[in-house]
Amino acid sequence: MNFSLTYLELAVVALALGLLLLELWTPTALKPKLGYVAAAGLALILGWSFADTIPSESATAFSQMYVRDGLALFFKRFFLMAAILVLIMSVEFSDRIRMGVGEFYVLILFALTGMMFASSANDLIMVFVSLELITISFYVLVSFQRSRMGSLEAGVKYLIMGALSSAFLIFGIALVFGSAGTTNFDGLLQVTKGAADDKVLWLGLLLVLAGLGFKIAAFPFQMWAPDVYQGAPTPVTAFLAVGSKAAGIVLLLRVFLGAVPPVTGQWTKLLMVMAAITILYGNLCAIPQRNLKRLLGYSSIANAGYLLLGLSVLNASGCSAMLYYLAGYLFTLAAAFTVICLVARESDDISSLAGLSQRSPLLAACLTLAMVSLGGIPPLAGFFGKFLLLKSIIEQGPVNPGYYCLAGTALFGVVVSLYYYFGVIRAIYLSKEAPDLTPITVSVPARLSLGVCVIGMFYLGLFPQTALLVAQEAVSALKF
Amino acid sequence: MNDALPWPILFLPLIAAVLITLFTQKRNGLSAALSVGAIAISFVISVILFVNAGEAAFESKINWLTVGALNIDFGMRIDSLSLLMLLIVTGVGSMIHIYSVGYMHGDPSFSRFFACLSFFTFSMLGVVLSNNFFEMFIFWELVGVSSYMLIGFWYQKSSAANAAKKAFLTNRLGDFGFLLGIIMLWSITGGLGFATLPKPGTTATVVGLLIFCGAVGKSAQFPLHVWLPDAMEGPTPVSALIHAATMVAAGVFMLCRVFDVFSLDALTVIAWTGGVTALMAALIAVQQNDIKRILAYSTLSQLGYMVMAVGLGGPPQAMFHLTTHAFFKALLFLAAGSVIHGLTNEQDIWKMGALKKKMPVTFWTFLAGTLALCGVWPLSGFYSKDSILAEAFKSGHLALFGLGVVVAILTTFYMFRLFFVVFLGKEKSQAAGHAHESPKVMTLPLVVLALMSCVGGLIGIEPFVGKQFGMTESHETLAIIAPFVHAPVAAFAGLAAVMVGFLAAMSLYAKAQTDPLPAKLQGLAILLRDKFYFDELYARIIALTQDALASVADFLDRWIIGGLMVRGTQGTTELVGRAVRFVQSGNLQFYAFSFAAGVAVVLYLVLYR
Repeated sequence: MNFSLTYLELAVVALALGLLLLELWTPTALKPKLGYVAAAGLALILGWSFADTIPSESATAFSQMYVRDGLALFFKRFFLMAAILVLIMSVEFSDRIRMGVGEFYVLILFALTGMMFASSANDLIMVFVSLELITISFYVLVSFQRSRMGSLEAGVKYLIMGALSSAFLIFGIALVFGSAGTTNFDGLLQVTKGAADDKVLWLGLLLVLAGLGFKIAAFPFQMWAPDVYQGAPTPVTAFLAVGSKAAGIVLLLRVFLGAVPPVTGQWTKLLMVMAAITILYGNLCAIPQRNLKRLLGYSSIANAGYLLLGLSVLNASGCSAMLYYLAGYLFTLAAAFTVICLVARESDDISSLAGLSQRSPLLAACLTLAMVSLGGIPPLAGFFGKFLLLKSIIEQGPVNPGYYCLAGTALFGVVVSLYYYFGVIRAIYLSKEAPDLTPITVSVPARLSLGVCVIGMFYLGLFPQTALLVAQEAVSALKF
Repeated sequence: MNDALPWPILFLPLIAAVLITLFTQKRNGLSAALSVGAIAISFVISVILFVNAGEAAFESKINWLTVGALNIDFGMRIDSLSLLMLLIVTGVGSMIHIYSVGYMHGDPSFSRFFACLSFFTFSMLGVVLSNNFFEMFIFWELVGVSSYMLIGFWYQKSSAANAAKKAFLTNRLGDFGFLLGIIMLWSITGGLGFATLPKPGTTATVVGLLIFCGAVGKSAQFPLHVWLPDAMEGPTPVSALIHAATMVAAGVFMLCRVFDVFSLDALTVIAWTGGVTALMAALIAVQQNDIKRILAYSTLSQLGYMVMAVGLGGPPQAMFHLTTHAFFKALLFLAAGSVIHGLTNEQDIWKMGALKKKMPVTFWTFLAGTLALCGVWPLSGFYSKDSILAEAFKSGHLALFGLGVVVAILTTFYMFRLFFVVFLGKEKSQAAGHAHESPKVMTLPLVVLALMSCVGGLIGIEPFVGKQFGMTESHETLAIIAPFVHAPVAAFAGLAAVMVGFLAAMSLYAKAQTDPLPAKLQGLAILLRDKFYFDELYARIIALTQDALASVADFLDRWIIGGLMVRGTQGTTELVGRAVRFVQSGNLQFYAFSFAAGVAVVLYLVLYR
């Protein structure tokens, strides 16, 4: 037992419990502001995480269920940053939540705890438990606007689909255990090194893949995403798109590259096909969308596809590209959703952006930058992330020409995506009729978080070197 | 400490530009103070750097990006070459910034002007300080952008907007070659840093010529010279700063910076391009009537001299002339601006006259600039021009030497034509009668620049740059008479040229009310007046080739790309998108079914095949 390794998670849990207590004594009018308290607390914890050097040797706790290494630390910081931005967004959103604002923030913290545990998972049981902690928190969060039909519908859909995927996941874990006799990653690595073609083990791992594919919304497990993204409260959508997806990614890395690489090595074709179809599906379906959140839902499917590109090459450069891409994606999506949160009050239709350039040039500029970054245009973060991913798969081209096709597909997807991303920009600047031209006031914390996002987008796009080094260092924990 | 100094020099003007754009748009005084302050501090730091810098070149850099074999730094290279340019850009630039405060007074976009000016200074300093091709190219393009913004500063005037467009597009043409050259150089040598340029003459001629394309565009050499005269549509301080002293000199500077890249054949091409430009521009200048255009063609002609000097293997001579030219041409432009300002925006020299009494400071400083440009002993222009002529004579290019002398005659002729008509003789219009001297803030920079134009030839610029290019000759003789001792042929030829030009101009224009030359030269004068019809020629070429190409492209675009590929693809994509969306029905049972089906398909694919 080594509790001290989990100090970051413990701090978040303590913060959440403290917040619950604090809420009891907070007057109703001030309750929305509790989000700032939570964000500030998380900022402190984030700062604390930097007081510690990245461990060169991984340390484990709870009978090797929990591991602390560079990769875990990278993702913990990532999730903390995401939660801070989402909490600030939530305060802006709080006037649309009828009751229980305090609980809303606390649930975000619990989901965050789950994500942080997920990044340290070293055992399939740990994978399952942390995922359930995330998903169950999200069931409540998605349906939090109880007076709105859309939110409830999304909640129910997410609940049922999530339960289904959990069932597949736990069944898969059971099969793996039955075949390999262990659920521990170190143990699985030993087993698969010996015999990598046990079909029962494969069956179990494929079911695990389905369960994790559900989390990142990869084809063919992506059906739920657009409906849930559209219906959920905007900050929750943002947290689903960034946090939940990244949790799925880190678990994919842990399981398929950390625990069973000999098996995954025989599945490259499957991963490539999944990546290609996911990219095409997300981008093509996004074209006719008029609802901003639904559009970003499809865009998030496409992005899951880009991330899978990095996984499909099964090497360090692909993985560090994934981490880099995720970092850029975090700032980009946080900026986009913060703006949507502030602007789209009545409806999430693209037309609600009309006249935004006059109502608030700041928000218009931020959303434009976010769209440009998502489209992968230099000098923003999205460009460099896509560049690194494509570079990593093209480098593998000589080994397997299929990677060239995959790169072509990805490029096609990027071109298609420009069409709908620029549709959003067109709505901001070129809409003829703007029904509402009242200026939008943006609170100081929201300005701050938008500023952080914009700086993040530019920094990652202009000075890729440092961030890439950090990503490479984190990935080195996987020991290729 | 020296390592850190170049950074504030570069970034102060950028900070000023950003601050003005974001915060002080409505406060003119503050904007001007920011802009002038930034460049003045940059100048002071440059001087400190100049004093502190030792003999050896050094670089201060950070690694910006490493992708595979390509390693790109963002760095600053400090050596004689860049130190000299730093002093010119910030020193002459400071004068022009100060002058602009007076010249632009009352303009509704006063703040925007200074923001653009500071942004230009930033870009130009970037070109000067770059330590590799990649970085230089970025700043090279930024210089193009800021020049575009400044030429088209009065964008409400369609002529200014067109001129800005023309300058930008013409430069694009040269820059395309430049970029190709850089890529080729990289593919051959694998490096882009200036510190590790290949050994002299080892690279292919074509690389050198492609890189030279960049200079042809930016320094307005034949055949891409057409944009510079039109660029005079910008405010006069801009003409002085960008289109006389600094930006157009960037091409020459770049040639000197990467001199080792050029093979002997490439140098010959460079020398002749410069010579032809010098002659052609000087001829055209003889028959122009717009005061700024005459100076613009004169600039072209002098740039030709510099490029020729580089081609003759004399970067120090080129940099020497570049420096003195920056002084006296900035002076001439600013003085011309003072005249235009005094005559409420009159630019036709045949509507001026007799300004000597009314604008004494402008008159005397303009005279100093004219004498310096013509190359009258012992003003700066004499020494720098002489060093180029001497280089031509010494290296045995007698044709280019002769050409240089002819250009010197023409230079004196058109400058004194301008001088006599504008400042002496009778008033030729009402506006000339009401002329008044400009305010102190404008005349002070004139005086400073006039002083520099007078003594600029004697302060040891050539040997300072020469060190870097292995020039070791140390003159024992007194600097002021050195040319007559070391290269008497060139020196006396230069002086004779001045005499011939001056006498010709005096006999024709001392008392002229209208231009007597067209009557004498007839067709030739018209040819010169119409600038050898280059604009018309290019317009025809563009009409023939580009329009034909455009109609083909239009056809392809409209029917093949637009119709078949884009609309076809877009239609198909959109159709697919809509079709796939039907799958996304919102029906939960179907979602669950498809999830399970997906799992089944994956299992089948992996386990049973």
